[in-house]
Amino acid sequence: MSQKVIEVINLTKQFKSYKKKPGLKGSLQSFFNRKYSIKKAVHGFNLEINKGEIIGLLGPNGAGKTTLMKMFTGIIVPTSGELTINGHSPWERKKEFKKKIALVMGQKSQLWWDIPAMDSFLLLQKFYELSNQEFKQRLDYMSELLGVVDLLHVHVRKLSLGERMKMELMASLLHNPDVIFLDEPTIGLDLVAQENIRAFILDFHKKNGTTIIITSHYMADVQALCKRLVLIFDGTKAYDGPLEKFENILGNEKTVSFTFSEEIPCCGYLDEFHGEWNEGRTSVDIRVPEENLREVGKKVLDLHPVIEFNTEKMPIERVMKTLMTNPEVLRAQRDHANLPA
Amino acid sequence: MISSLKHYLGVYRYFVTTSVSEALSFRTSFILLVLMDIFFYFSVLFSVDFLFDHMQTIGPWNRYQLLFFICFMLNIDTIHMGVFSSNFWMLGFKIRTGELDFDLLKPTHSIFICFFRYLKPSSLLTAPVAWGLLIYYGSKIGLLWYDWLLIPPLLLLGLSLLCVLEFILCTSMFWLVEGMGINFLRMQMQQMARWPDFIYKYTYQKIFTIGVPLLLIGSGPVHFILDKSNWHYLAGMCLAIVISTLILVKIWNKALRQYDSASS
Amino acid sequence: MQTYLLKWWQTIRISWSKYTAYRLNFFLQVVGPFLVFFFIKYNLWSSIYEGSSTPVIKGYNFSDMMHYHIWTLIISLLGQGYAAMNLSEDIRLGRISSYLIYPFEFWEFHTAGFVSFQILQVFVSSITLCLAVFFGFIEFPSLSIILTGFSFTLFMGMFWFTMQYFTGLLAFWLEETWIMRVLLSIIVSFLSGYIFPLELYPEWLVGALKYSPFPYMSYFPAKIFMGQEVNLTLGYSVLTFWIAVFAYINHLIWKKGMRLYTAAGM
Repeated sequence: MSQKVIEVINLTKQFKSYKKKPGLKGSLQSFFNRKYSIKKAVHGFNLEINKGEIIGLLGPNGAGKTTLMKMFTGIIVPTSGELTINGHSPWERKKEFKKKIALVMGQKSQLWWDIPAMDSFLLLQKFYELSNQEFKQRLDYMSELLGVVDLLHVHVRKLSLGERMKMELMASLLHNPDVIFLDEPTIGLDLVAQENIRAFILDFHKKNGTTIIITSHYMADVQALCKRLVLIFDGTKAYDGPLEKFENILGNEKTVSFTFSEEIPCCGYLDEFHGEWNEGRTSVDIRVPEENLREVGKKVLDLHPVIEFNTEKMPIERVMKTLMTNPEVLRAQRDHANLPA
Repeated sequence: MISSLKHYLGVYRYFVTTSVSEALSFRTSFILLVLMDIFFYFSVLFSVDFLFDHMQTIGPWNRYQLLFFICFMLNIDTIHMGVFSSNFWMLGFKIRTGELDFDLLKPTHSIFICFFRYLKPSSLLTAPVAWGLLIYYGSKIGLLWYDWLLIPPLLLLGLSLLCVLEFILCTSMFWLVEGMGINFLRMQMQQMARWPDFIYKYTYQKIFTIGVPLLLIGSGPVHFILDKSNWHYLAGMCLAIVISTLILVKIWNKALRQYDSASS
Repeated sequence: MQTYLLKWWQTIRISWSKYTAYRLNFFLQVVGPFLVFFFIKYNLWSSIYEGSSTPVIKGYNFSDMMHYHIWTLIISLLGQGYAAMNLSEDIRLGRISSYLIYPFEFWEFHTAGFVSFQILQVFVSSITLCLAVFFGFIEFPSLSIILTGFSFTLFMGMFWFTMQYFTGLLAFWLEETWIMRVLLSIIVSFLSGYIFPLELYPEWLVGALKYSPFPYMSYFPAKIFMGQEVNLTLGYSVLTFWIAVFAYINHLIWKKGMRLYTAAGM
């Protein structure tokens, strides 16, 4: 029996902005006669999310991901449409609602720059009315898991970006929220820090059964964390469904790369696949339907002096790239395959 | 009710400790701030005192009455500087950068976080100087024991009125996005209130007593202290505070509805 | 040379659009001082004159006093801006590094910002002047007075800028330089004659100030605008001297600060 945590019906948000031509003249013009334009950041958006799901919210820059997150958390008010989170309308900004959600923004900081993180945490303890025991227990759990126990009393401005992000995560999760919104939590971090944070999120999720919505431009994040993806393009939903299905959205072919110890002369068995060769014809990427993978692999290994071969680790990255350069592919695919949308 | 009061006091305690802990990490600034405030007090007192070298009264007040008024305003200023002033600057900054987002997520009222968050502990050191000056000029005009008792509550009354008016003004930053102009206007407002109401010509006096009750902040209490038949000033102040608070809540909610958060 | 000038021009343009981006703020900064002048100074001085036994204080009757204060207002708008405010922010937030890479130096960048601000303030102060004439506070002075006054005030603006630049550079050592700026502006407003005309002060003080930059920041240009005889050569030479002094100090501080900055790797 699944319980709906987030329900969104026909959500729309418009922004007003003005345009300015460059230069002195442009400044003067826009000073006296400002032309406003209305931009639809999000329109006609529908979504349902059950308790305990981890959802990846994907889309190019400016597609409306952050706007959605801000509406979900009640920071901005929707222009129209219905939105229920945990039984609340976020924009009413009720205390009970705020205690149940958290927003982490990879690009902004809520910690106070000139004092140690611990001071900020103590303030948060008061904000969320946490008992000393709860507070200490969660603080210990999180700081140990993230490996930042020694850094709690260091001034925030002296921390590295990765360390600071870990502190930000802790700050946002101290009150044990039911729904967590993570807006690019790993942006700008090194690979190890990214992995730490992913592992932490998974652990936190397993322990608390939290509902998590995450946006990221790193497909590794999505691959590691999300079972379900929601794709947003130009403010509307373009895809909503399981990760595996998304990977196969452009067909069920896998990319396989082979490297050989010598040049492979044209044109043999491999050229049937119309693969991409390197300059000296010593390596090739070919696309093979999933069901033929074993057969083709065996044959190539038999025929040629293969020194290395692999199948792609993250098909999702290729799919995203294709879709971002060519969004209409998705529409065509959807019409043909009746994918859920 | 009691529990929510306890909640807010608990949070406020940490506003204070975090502000102190931040301020003390910048020692030079801390000392300079104290110096600046004291310098400011004496520059104001000096200029008024200097004026009286060239005349006997300004309006109905003589030298010491006016200096007492100035000190009364300085004391409001000191509390205002210590408890509120940083927040007005921060609000503009937060709206422009979108950092306000975090404040809106917290389970306390947003007005509370926006206007009570940052304190300036250096004012604790300058406050005694301001008290000393007030006591000195108070004794010069021969205050009685119950006048002295009246001063603290009257200071708070004036301060509350000033703050609510400033909160209302600062709410407009949500529409203007940039806070400089508003803070500028706010300081001009304070400047107006630093002079007694009678120096203003009839029409302006009425506008800024009844329309925008700026001139009540200091003149109301001091008129009452000097002459107890002026109780209507205090009634006016209470009424002004109530009405202004209602207005504040109304436009604050309106502002939050259209806050569109700088994109990251 | 031409590309160098183009760089300046482009920087001036960018700062210009920064200043005018927020329309209402700009409007408030123009109208604010005028309104406050009107409400406070006008009302205050008229009640002072009503309470005074003589209609003339140290040679100023009420309307002289008003003229004097309107001119000091216009002078402060024109010559005492706040263009150097971003400077300390740049230092404090470690944005200097990007200037170290640009082929355009830190001081050039901020001076260009100052120039663009001055252009803007010429408009602002002219509007204020017209308002004051329109409401009948003053009469429009002759063209030669306007030219002499504006050019002297703009020159004084250069001194003000070097001084502001100085306080901004202190950000290498201080976390908040606005405190220094406030202290400085309190001192300046007294000693320059912005609050009271210098005639009201004791003579020994006025004499002592003669070779300091202060009287030339309000009192002196106000006299020019009011059509009174002043020693322009003295005014220009004193200011030139002080501009040179502060420019040199700034140069030294910058060198020292840079050594600190690069050493700490902020």
